[in-house]
Amino acid sequence: MLLYILKRVGQGLISIVGASIVIFFVSRLSGDPIVLLLPTEAPPAVVEQVRRDMGLAEPLWRQYLIFAGNALTGDFGNSYRWQAPALSLVLDRLPATIYLALAALLFSILLSVPFGVLSAVYRGSWIDTLGKGFAMLGQAMPNFWVGLLLILVLAIGFNLLPAYGYGTPAHIIMPAIALGWYPVAAQTRIVRSAMLDVLDSDYIRMGRAVGASERVLIWKYALRNAAIPLVTILGVYFAAMLGGAFVVETIFAWPGVGRTVVEAVFSRDFPVVQAGVLLTSILFVTSNLLVDLSYGLIDPRIRYDR
Amino acid sequence: MPRTSTLCLALSLSLLSGPVLAQSAPARGSLTVAFAAEPTVMDPLKYSAGVDHYFMGQMFEQLVRPDPTLRSVNWLAESWKVIEDNGKPIIDIHIRKGVKFHNGDPLTSADFEFTFSKLRDPKISRWSHLQASVERFEIVDDHHFRLHFKEGDGSYISGQLQLWAVPKAYYERVGEEGFAKAPVGTGPWKFVSRVVKDELKLEAFDDYWNKEHRPTVKNLTIKIIPEDLTRVAAFKTGAVDWVDAVPLAMVEEFKKMPGVKTVSVVSGNNLFLDFNTDQPNSPFRDVRVRQAAAHAIDVNAIIKSVLFGQGERYVEVGKGGIGYDPELKPYPFDPKKARELLRQAGHPNGFETPCYNLTTPREPNVKEVGEAMFAYLTAAGIRCKVQGLEYGAWINLMRRGRNGPPEMDGVISMMWSQNLPGDPGTAWAGHLHSFVPGKGWGSYSFAQDAEADAMVEQLKLTMDPQKRDELARKIARYKHEKVLGGLTTYRPMITLAWRDAKVDFKPWPYPGYWRGFQEIGLKQ
Repeated sequence: MLLYILKRVGQGLISIVGASIVIFFVSRLSGDPIVLLLPTEAPPAVVEQVRRDMGLAEPLWRQYLIFAGNALTGDFGNSYRWQAPALSLVLDRLPATIYLALAALLFSILLSVPFGVLSAVYRGSWIDTLGKGFAMLGQAMPNFWVGLLLILVLAIGFNLLPAYGYGTPAHIIMPAIALGWYPVAAQTRIVRSAMLDVLDSDYIRMGRAVGASERVLIWKYALRNAAIPLVTILGVYFAAMLGGAFVVETIFAWPGVGRTVVEAVFSRDFPVVQAGVLLTSILFVTSNLLVDLSYGLIDPRIRYDR
Repeated sequence: MPRTSTLCLALSLSLLSGPVLAQSAPARGSLTVAFAAEPTVMDPLKYSAGVDHYFMGQMFEQLVRPDPTLRSVNWLAESWKVIEDNGKPIIDIHIRKGVKFHNGDPLTSADFEFTFSKLRDPKISRWSHLQASVERFEIVDDHHFRLHFKEGDGSYISGQLQLWAVPKAYYERVGEEGFAKAPVGTGPWKFVSRVVKDELKLEAFDDYWNKEHRPTVKNLTIKIIPEDLTRVAAFKTGAVDWVDAVPLAMVEEFKKMPGVKTVSVVSGNNLFLDFNTDQPNSPFRDVRVRQAAAHAIDVNAIIKSVLFGQGERYVEVGKGGIGYDPELKPYPFDPKKARELLRQAGHPNGFETPCYNLTTPREPNVKEVGEAMFAYLTAAGIRCKVQGLEYGAWINLMRRGRNGPPEMDGVISMMWSQNLPGDPGTAWAGHLHSFVPGKGWGSYSFAQDAEADAMVEQLKLTMDPQKRDELARKIARYKHEKVLGGLTTYRPMITLAWRDAKVDFKPWPYPGYWRGFQEIGLKQ
């Protein structure tokens, strides 16, 4: 088990180093940040001095080595735009994004698991059609549109929820729905398909033969065995939500890391982009590792020693 | 002791004395307002973006500033004048006594000297070039100082004397980071807290020096809501009492809303369409082609249809700005004349040209406006091959002195932004004066005209406001006649809205922007 974890951590580190190289060089393809930082009338001498002061006059490979060396000590440099430590800017916003992603994930699980299970149990019935239809609706509607629709109906129309912001449990409801509805369709299909496999298996038939209650068979035995594919996809969606919550964060004025990083991309604020992407990479790798480790908890037959 | 020259200026501008001190009731209650954008920094020594002004201007003040009618009045300066010593200009400034910073420190000349020393350092300030013409700072006494110039610099005066009041002792004690976390100024609002991407909390400053023009509400929360419809929803649901930048398409709806008051104000941004006239083969070198372009576009129709009326037509300089000439009229929309001018210029069948359009919404609907203008040009025979550019690529294309391609080889949608009411000096030095490598002239210019160059250079040296205005008018007329340094089109308008029964609000323009809360309160 320990060996497995060490191996996975090693692989994760390679991925993170790879991500750091890619983001470092790709972000620089967007152009020179100095032209966005200084006013258009700034004299060339000032432009050159600022470029030197910011370390942008060095060859790219040297800039990368300096960045990588500093990053190992937690120093991602100062944001060009905010003129504050880039890592702090990202870390300060991260809890709000994790909170939003977890809430969205919870929302998606609360919908997809019952829909998937009921669709499998009542295959071909109106329940199956309704579940799949509702799930597909989420995938068919872009999250910005869902967000605006929710604001229009629940905030302006019925004044039930706050239109924007962060702070109380009421604030999380609409952003979580907007972000979490999209993956419901895929998750529902996965639960449904895994449940269909499990419900056809011998031990379920055996359970029925010995008179075990249908509810216990479905929700306790079958669902647990059908959970591994769901957990896998949940890990992927969770990581994707961390990095892709930008639109929902903007719609609901949610103070998360997505908005910070995307705005940094547009303003060529390399230190913030690098800090944001690397942090997301670390979370992505960690989330996938945790998902892999959770298989053993779900199905004790899975061993990590080989 | 410098000699006051009778020839040079001797401008005593103290006639615009400042506000009268008066007693007023203590501030009370709370208000929540919503802005579309947020600042990056709230430190006048380090500010970088225009949006920083919206926030910085609540807490910090300058020596002079525009009043609600856009007239420049003495603010922290009690009086100031331009004098001369051995042919070099000096700005001699007396500051008000009794002005306090939010931490209780008194405002003195040393605070301005500190600001000056930091602002001229490119390691600290992004605007160090604005201090480049000042040779030294002389403190005469605690409330009297002089700025000695190497040469005339008219933009220094038009830029509200450039210096902000920053508390030297406090800044040195807490350092840059400490100041960023707890900024201290002399303004009507003092800092309470800030959550980036979320909100800024301010409190009315009880010891504010200007008792006549101060907020009467105690607590102000500025929420950051970038999405237009969410900001509108926050206002409609009552979560905020005042809202910035009502979406263009909803302005009429807001004006009709019961209990809601709106004001539409012109922004400090000036949009124009520029043509490449410095490439040998460019058809735009011929003034008739540029005039044809000016006749080809129906700017009024674009303002009405694309901007929902939320734009103000201007010719070279906006209303009230230095060099504003009410006699200058825009080229009338006349496609027939446009085609005739093209024929006279040797293009009876028109010609094809690249047209570069900014697609990043720096101003509302700016992409759509560009598309409409290029469509008008195409209809008249200047057939645009339109290329959309995001902000970074757009800046890159317009900046001169870069190494290598791409080059701006056709038409480009552009803008210049300066304080309200506006002084075009710096902007014209950038886009009307021809490009001179390494000298700072024409840093985003595609024009080449020796006469215009000479006048723009003279304008930079001219500090006398009256002479400056006369020269700017002359340049504007020349520029307009030759359609040089671009075809001026419109200035965007911003609509602010608030709940009339609750909010008592008078818009005050901080440099370039109208979002200052100098006078806001709760109605009884």
